[in-house]
Amino acid sequence: MATVSPLREAKEGEIIAPGHTFGSVTDKISDIVQNDTIAIGWLASLAFAFMMLNILAISAAYLLYRGLGIWGINVPVSWGFAIVNFVWWIGIGHAGTLISAILLLLRQRWRTSINRFAEAMTLFAVACAGMFPLLHMGRPYFAYWLMPYPNTFGLWPQWRSPLVWDVFAVSTYATVSLLFWFVGLVPDLATLRDRATNKWTQTIFGLLAMGWRGSAIHWQRYEVAYGLLAALATPLVVSVHTVVSFDFAAGIVPGWHTTIFPPYFVAGAIYSGFAMVLTLAIPVRQVYNIKDFITTTHLDYMARIMLTTGLIVAYGYGIEAFMAWYSANKFEVAVMQNRFTGVIRWEYYMLILCNVLVPQLLWFKYVRTTPSVLFVISLIVNLGMWLERYVIVIGSLTRDNLPSSWGRYSGTIWDWGIYLGTIGLFLTLLLIFLRVLPMISIFEMKTLLPEAHPHGHGHDTKNHGHQESVK
Amino acid sequence: MSDPWDQNAALPPFGLLAEFKTVDELVDAANKVKTEGYKQTDAYSPYPVEGLTDALGHSLWLLPLVVLGGGLAGGLGGYMLQWFTSVYSYPLIVADRPFHSWPAFFPVTFECTILGASLSAVFGMFALNRLPMPYHPVFNVESFDKASRDRFFLCIRSIDPKYDAVETRKFLESLGPCEVQEVPE
Amino acid sequence: MSATPSDTSIASIQRIALITGIAGCVLALLGLVIPGCTPHVFRGWLVGFNLFTGAAVGPLAIIMIQYLTGGNWGLMLRPTLEAASRTLPLMALLFLPIVFGMDYVYEWSRFEKVHHHPELVDQPLYAGIEPHDHELEHKLPMLNQMFFFVRVVVYFGIWGTLAYLLNRWSAELEQKHDKSILDRCASLSAPGLVIYVLTVSFASIDFAMSLEPKWYSTIYGAMFGMGQVLTAFAIAVATITLLSYRTEILKAIQGQTMSDMGTLLGAFIILWAYLSFMQFLIIWMGQIPEELPWYVARMMTPPWRYVAIALVLLHFAVPFAMLSTINVKRNRRLLAGVALFVCAMRVIDLVWLIVPSFDQNEKAFVASVPLFAYLVYAGAIVGIGGLWLATFLWQLSSRPMLPSYIPEGGAHGETAHA
Repeated sequence: MATVSPLREAKEGEIIAPGHTFGSVTDKISDIVQNDTIAIGWLASLAFAFMMLNILAISAAYLLYRGLGIWGINVPVSWGFAIVNFVWWIGIGHAGTLISAILLLLRQRWRTSINRFAEAMTLFAVACAGMFPLLHMGRPYFAYWLMPYPNTFGLWPQWRSPLVWDVFAVSTYATVSLLFWFVGLVPDLATLRDRATNKWTQTIFGLLAMGWRGSAIHWQRYEVAYGLLAALATPLVVSVHTVVSFDFAAGIVPGWHTTIFPPYFVAGAIYSGFAMVLTLAIPVRQVYNIKDFITTTHLDYMARIMLTTGLIVAYGYGIEAFMAWYSANKFEVAVMQNRFTGVIRWEYYMLILCNVLVPQLLWFKYVRTTPSVLFVISLIVNLGMWLERYVIVIGSLTRDNLPSSWGRYSGTIWDWGIYLGTIGLFLTLLLIFLRVLPMISIFEMKTLLPEAHPHGHGHDTKNHGHQESVK
Repeated sequence: MSDPWDQNAALPPFGLLAEFKTVDELVDAANKVKTEGYKQTDAYSPYPVEGLTDALGHSLWLLPLVVLGGGLAGGLGGYMLQWFTSVYSYPLIVADRPFHSWPAFFPVTFECTILGASLSAVFGMFALNRLPMPYHPVFNVESFDKASRDRFFLCIRSIDPKYDAVETRKFLESLGPCEVQEVPE
Repeated sequence: MSATPSDTSIASIQRIALITGIAGCVLALLGLVIPGCTPHVFRGWLVGFNLFTGAAVGPLAIIMIQYLTGGNWGLMLRPTLEAASRTLPLMALLFLPIVFGMDYVYEWSRFEKVHHHPELVDQPLYAGIEPHDHELEHKLPMLNQMFFFVRVVVYFGIWGTLAYLLNRWSAELEQKHDKSILDRCASLSAPGLVIYVLTVSFASIDFAMSLEPKWYSTIYGAMFGMGQVLTAFAIAVATITLLSYRTEILKAIQGQTMSDMGTLLGAFIILWAYLSFMQFLIIWMGQIPEELPWYVARMMTPPWRYVAIALVLLHFAVPFAMLSTINVKRNRRLLAGVALFVCAMRVIDLVWLIVPSFDQNEKAFVASVPLFAYLVYAGAIVGIGGLWLATFLWQLSSRPMLPSYIPEGGAHGETAHA
């Protein structure tokens, strides 16, 4: 395999290291997939992730065998870890769509080297999220009852319930994300097909590439379709977490029924999603030595988006607390008292620490451009966003309007097992993806090269590498 | 006219394929091909090149209409489904809401619109591009593998009225390609 | 690239605006001597004040966002937006009349009076107000006149400081063409936006939401603030496209920049619609007596019901459909038209947000609204609008209409994707 090296490392503000050519970009990205060796580190990681996946298999099997009683849920908390984890995973998925769709529409070219990877992350996160409602049904084999189909009972879904909206939102989201990802992959699959030396991989990539040949008219329709998909995915991604927030806000449980929930949930989703992208991208760029494609500039921009969305989330916490006082409604006040001084206080303090205080470090450029520090902060934010959902779900359900219906809740070992198991599922899928498909969009990376644009078309090649921040 | 059932008869070639090293050469060549009057042409590049389809004279208007139609169908279908099931088929009073609860019907209608539009964008694009098409004559050319890597190709098809095996080759060679090859059918 | 608007059209519009403004104000003030109209003078004034405070504050958000994200659209709009932000002192001045009519406007202000002087209940203005009310007493530490005025001073102080610094530094930037000044603007903008969002949220609660002092909604600040940004952006886009008959302005904005302006206007409209609809849907789904009256007044009671439908169609559907179908690049008159139309819809939206609050609190008043009161409302809105427009145009012509300093990298955000 040819070794590919750029002239030098990428400087500040550069989104691809100089010195790359069409060929070197192709080789560098495809060689990660198309080589005959299996790296021991990758294999060890996969073994570990697969072990965690088996925790999911065991927990789910036992759940089906014994029933939902093995979880910590009981009246009044019949929405326990399942919903917390569902919202957490769905939120994580949102960064992928944001990077691939919204940043495309905003013409932020730095998205190019992280979009494929982030879209894959979206798909796997949505797959993990989907596990929870399915398993929470107790009888997952009846999941199709959620769909509107003519049946002998003459029953239909209850359209005035946000849970039915959620079914539509999440399944649409999963479908559109998969389409978006696949459409982005097609030209790269053709590249892999043409590079393949092995009959088997050539056939598989050939089938998946569907005979893509890079024809000019195809490219043009492709770009129109891709742009339209981005324009459709942008409101979709906002609507998904909006609908997720309706699962809470449409009811009248104190602490859930508040109008700021939709934008605040959307911001929180993007926040946790970017945290997860950083959690994954920082080790991956190190291990696969692709710092010339995922530069510190990328980390900086992602950290800025995290800071911005984190501040919106903090605004949400603040306005909730203020409005609880302002409302003079004793139930609203009680919710905040419960968070500040009640049984849920430690979770709440931790959440404020993780989601509001620690991320303020991102104001400093040093923090934003130092991968190790950023990695730690991204883990903290992931934790914080999990705690946020925990506080919302458990905090409100254990302290409802009536003291007679108060209760307590804690997850059992099986709750934790399923949660850890989905992390295993996520990592397994991700590791397999890294090995079998190009993790960076090859053809889009080529468009970042100075020689990619015909002259005399008003293209300022000096602009190459110059990008504005997204804050 | 030769016997169409004759397996051994040589098919006429698909066309002539010129290979270029840079995108500038390809765009220049495409412009010249158009001025020369060739209609049945196509260009191949490893990434989308701006202005190339203009140079080749393709136009594009159908896909956005397909997407609009898909979105409308999805949205109307979603709304009608909700209306039909909750007003007509099985009206049920829930939480004192009207049967026709239009605010509550909004989210599902929206999701169905997006789903319909996205599906028609993707499948419309593939259908209009006549994909999947695992076999295409250009794949017969050995060096065409590089079309997905770092080379740019321009093809003039033999069905073009101006096509002439000798003249067209000469013309293509005058555009400064690194190679001109015949594409067998 | 600098251009000073020197032709007479701006000056003549400015003169007409000033005359209309004064005439409107006089008409509104006439209400003070017409029986039964006095409350409407202040209420109409509050609508106009809120509308044009939004037009003066909103630009700050757009300017600061532009410093942080770049984008040629914002660069070319910056002088216009800055001119709009320099109308803040006028708006601070125009707040003063409200000081004298607090009791006519704010129910909590009347409550405060009655709470301290129960004997006032005999007067018609304070009739029906209980001197003791659990919720309003709870809010008294915030909703009292003294602290309200302190907050207004703080808001205008903060907005004024931001506007002053942004305007001064940008003038300095135009003079010295020094990139370090641009960096300074950017480093003010990040914390500036945080402060901006907080002040605008609380100001919207103070100026508008507290008109119904028992009603609350956590999204209100975001929704109201988004409306202000939309107002400011629509005004700026309308101004620059209307002035694009001058070749230097046309040259600066034509093509991608103008198309971006159209897209952004559409995006702001969608955001406004999103936030407004979310508030509605959640309250509709919840159906609890604490929240519902706000929408009962605005969506079930006759005149406002039709206004609400009109807002959905004309404030959202029509401009959105126009902006997504027309080719803005080729049709700059249409873009100007849509932007002006959105400005007009902003007036309707604010009237719809604010005026039903008054109806609700005094059922007796509704029946006896004198015909002249409608003129008073119109006069107050047109009056403040005229004064604002005259000031805006005066400020607009006092500095070049286009930036002379283009940051390195040329047209920011114009780097086309492939």
